[in-house]
Amino acid sequence: MKLKDRFTDRVFTLGGSILLLCIVMAIVFPNKFPTIDNFSQLMLNLSIDTIVAVGMMVLMIAGMFDLSVGSVVAFAGGMAGYLMYYHHVNFVPAIMAGVAGSVLIGFINGWLIARVGINPMIQTLAMMGIVRGFALMLSGAGIQNFPYEYTVIGQSKLFGLQMPVWYMLLVVIVFAYLTKNTSFFRRYYFIGGSEKAARLSGINVEKMKVWAFVISATLAGVAGILLSSRLGAALSTSGRGLEMRVITAVILGGASLSGGYGKIWGSFLGALFMALINNLLILSRVSGYWQEVILGAILIIAVGIDQLILKKMEK
Amino acid sequence: MYKGIVYILVLFLFSCELPPRSGSSTAGTTKGEKKFITADEVSPDEEYVMVTTAVNLPLYVNHDQKAFLAWGKKTAVKVSILGPSEWDVPTQIATIEQVIPGKPAGLLINGTDPGIAQVIKKATDAGIPTVVYDSDIPNSDRHCFIGSDWYEMGRLQGERMAKIIGGNGKVACMGILGMENMEAGFNGFQDALKKFPGIEFIGKYDDKANVETAARITADLLTANPDLAGIGGFDSNSGPGIALSVKEAGKAGKIRITTVDAEPEHLALVKEGVIDYLVGQKRELFTWLGAQFLFDMRHKTMPLSADDASAGVVPIPQTVITGSIEIDKNNVDQFMQ
Repeated sequence: MKLKDRFTDRVFTLGGSILLLCIVMAIVFPNKFPTIDNFSQLMLNLSIDTIVAVGMMVLMIAGMFDLSVGSVVAFAGGMAGYLMYYHHVNFVPAIMAGVAGSVLIGFINGWLIARVGINPMIQTLAMMGIVRGFALMLSGAGIQNFPYEYTVIGQSKLFGLQMPVWYMLLVVIVFAYLTKNTSFFRRYYFIGGSEKAARLSGINVEKMKVWAFVISATLAGVAGILLSSRLGAALSTSGRGLEMRVITAVILGGASLSGGYGKIWGSFLGALFMALINNLLILSRVSGYWQEVILGAILIIAVGIDQLILKKMEK
Repeated sequence: MYKGIVYILVLFLFSCELPPRSGSSTAGTTKGEKKFITADEVSPDEEYVMVTTAVNLPLYVNHDQKAFLAWGKKTAVKVSILGPSEWDVPTQIATIEQVIPGKPAGLLINGTDPGIAQVIKKATDAGIPTVVYDSDIPNSDRHCFIGSDWYEMGRLQGERMAKIIGGNGKVACMGILGMENMEAGFNGFQDALKKFPGIEFIGKYDDKANVETAARITADLLTANPDLAGIGGFDSNSGPGIALSVKEAGKAGKIRITTVDAEPEHLALVKEGVIDYLVGQKRELFTWLGAQFLFDMRHKTMPLSADDASAGVVPIPQTVITGSIEIDKNNVDQFMQ
C-alpha cells in the first residue's frame, strides 16, 4: 500500500492516533495507565460495545443503521435471566431463547425495512422502545443469582483477560475475514455504494438487508448475554445509550453514513479509541459533565481531520 | 495443522481461570475476614472517590456532591466525583472497575442497582474501604451501607395520601420502573393504601425521571380517570411533572399529590398548595457520614482490636438508616432558605 493510501485508510490513521494516545497516557499516568489491571479493564469495558459495533459496521457498510441494538442487549440478558431465575430453565436453552429473541427482532426490523419500505431510523427507533419495554417487563428491578455455569461464560479468565475480551477478538477476526473474503459480505459494499447498481447486477438487495439486521441483532443479543453473565445480573437499564456510542465508534472507525465504506477492524479501533478517551477522563478525574462534551468534540475533530486529509490527497 | 489447533485448544482450556462459586471466598478469605488498606498518616494526596450514575442530576449535585466536596475540604483530602451523565448502570460499573486499579483511599458508591454488587465485591477484594450510600446493595460485601429505607418512604407517602383523600378514591403513582429502590417505594406505598378498602390503586407508571413524561402521564391519567383522587411520585422529577399537569388542568388542590425530595421547586409547589406532602432523604447527612466512615476505616479512628484490618473487623457500622424528612404546608417555610 502506498503512503498516500495509508493516510486515507482510517484503520491506519486511527491506529496511529491510538498509539500516540497510549504513549501520552503512559507518560502522564505512569503508575495508573500502563498496568495489567488497567489494560484488562479497558479491554473488558470495550468488549460489549465492540461486538455490537461489528454488527453495526455491517449495517453501515450497506448504508443503514439500527437504533434498537441497546434495547436488544437488555432484552437478551433479561430473557435468559427471566427463564433461569423464574422458571429454572437450564442456562443453555435460556441463552438460546435470549439469542433467538434477538434474531426475531432483527428479522422483524429487516423485513419491515426491506420489504415494507419503512425508513430504518423510524423502524429501529420504534423497535428500540418496544424492546426496551419487554426488557423492563422481563428484568423488572433486576435479576440476580444466576446459575454458576452461566456466570462462567462472562467471568472466567484466560491469560488474565476476562472471557468477553476473547469473544470480542473472535467476533472481530471472523467478521473481518468474512467481509474481506466472502462474496456474501462483499455484496454489502455494493449495496452501500449504489443500491440500484447492486440490484441491476443481480443482488437480492431486500434479502441482504434482512440478513444485515439479523446479523446486527444477533450480535447485540450475544453481547447482552455476555454482559448479564459478566455482571451476574440482568438489568433493564443495560445498553441505554449504547446505540449512539456504537454508531460513533463505527463512524470513527471509517464507516460512512451513506454506506459503501468501512472495515471491521475499524469498528474495533473506533471502540478502542473511545474506551481510551473514557479511561483518560476517568484517570484524570474529569467530571461526568464534561465526558460527553469531550467525546462529541473528538468525533467532530476526528471526522473533520479525516475529511481534510482526504481532500488534500485527492488534489 | 489440526494437531496444532488441538494443542492450542488444550492450552486454552488449562489456562482458563473459572470465577469463584457463589458463597466461596476470594483469596481464602470470607466477608468478615477481608483485609483492607489502612494508613497512619493523613496525606493530602489521599483520594476518596464518589461514583454515581446520572452525575449531573440536580438532586445529586445540590446535596450529595455538595456535601462530599465540603467534607473533602474540611478533612483536607482529595475528593473526586465520577460517573456517567445519564442513568447508565453498566457505565457506572465500568467507571468503578477503572478506578479500582488506582487503589483510592475509599470508595463512596451510590447504590443504584443490585447489578453493581459484583464490582463492589471487586473493590473490597482489592482492600479498598467501600461504603454504599442512598440504597443498599445487600449481597455486595460492602463495608457499610448508609442511606434511606425506600419501603418506609413509600409507606409514609401512602399513609399521608390515604389521610388527605379521606380513605376513598382512585390513586396512582409514578417513578422509574425497574429500579430496586423505587420498586421498594412502590410496594410500601401500595401496602399502606391496602389498609383502606375505599381506595382503588390504579397502577404505577414509568416517568423515566423526566418532568415532561411525568406531566404527560398525569394528563392521560386525568383524562382516563376524571374521578382520580391522588398521585404519588417517586423520583425527583415526578412531583414537578405531576404538579405541572394538575395545574394546567385547573385541578390544583383537588388532585392530591405526595412525592419524594425537597428541592426548591418541590418546596415552592408545597407553598403554592399544589403538592400536599414531601418525604425527603437526609442526603447531605448520609454522604458526609459515609465519607467520614471511609476516612475512619482507613485511619483506624476508632480501633476495635490491636489491628482491625488483620483481625477481619470492620470498624464502622454495617448499616445506617438516616431516616426521612417530612414536609407539608405547616413546616415548609423552615426549608425555604
